[in-house]
Amino acid sequence: MDNLVNENLAWVVLFGHIAIIVAGGFITVLSESLIRALMGLILTLFGVAGLFFLMAAPFIGLMQILIYVGAVSVLIFFSIMLTNAWPGGDERGNIKGKKVIFAALAALAPAAFLGSAAVRTVPPSIFVPEETEVRELGRFLLEPYILPFELISLLLTVAMAGAVMLVFDRRKKK
Amino acid sequence: MSILTIYHLVAIFLLCIGLFGIVYRRTLVGIVLGIELMLNGAGLSIMASAQLTPTPNELGQVGALLVMGIAAAEATLLLAILLVVSRRFKNVDAGKLITMRG
Repeated sequence: MDNLVNENLAWVVLFGHIAIIVAGGFITVLSESLIRALMGLILTLFGVAGLFFLMAAPFIGLMQILIYVGAVSVLIFFSIMLTNAWPGGDERGNIKGKKVIFAALAALAPAAFLGSAAVRTVPPSIFVPEETEVRELGRFLLEPYILPFELISLLLTVAMAGAVMLVFDRRKKK
Repeated sequence: MSILTIYHLVAIFLLCIGLFGIVYRRTLVGIVLGIELMLNGAGLSIMASAQLTPTPNELGQVGALLVMGIAAAEATLLLAILLVVSRRFKNVDAGKLITMRG
């Protein structure tokens, strides 16, 4: 009995988060104001974080909230503020028939191929995933995955240095 | 239909809606939002493939972490590029950026 209640609860949580993700995705691409679109993106990110929690990976879920919701969306907010993409009017008057058709085609092509592939190949999946300790994760990152770990630190350094260089260069010329 | 298929369909939805946003949006900031959606779908797909199959769990979790790191680096660079573009062209309308002269 208890098990059944838990299972039903898991389904409710799964489809609730999927509903949040779908709603957030549509808000992100369709809303006229960019601030609202950003809020939709944050909603989607929270939904994906919830799915990570549901997959018994609380560490990655927390990282998702910390990195995406905490850092990336703040960066995008800054870029809305600092550029002239003013929230009120920039995406207004967007509805051109041709563009909507192209966009829908671009979205539906991978949906058709990948969706049919995903539905047709059904690998056996585990219903109750196991939780991995953070200690194990750290060991994995430092022993077999040391090269990607170092490469991503290099990538972050280069990205930050590049961002600073780009903006400084323009300022000096002025 | 297994659980993994549901997760994969959600990831494919994120990919498609991101592509839709990239084509449909007019400003560069809107395009960035679409890219973030697609990257999130990639992370979700990697994660589900490792957690819900007999593959070692660490593989998927580290993969999702690397995707997040790449997304953070990409967002930093895009902010700088957007700043430069908006200073040079006075707007960030993707249709009006037609010159690449330095």
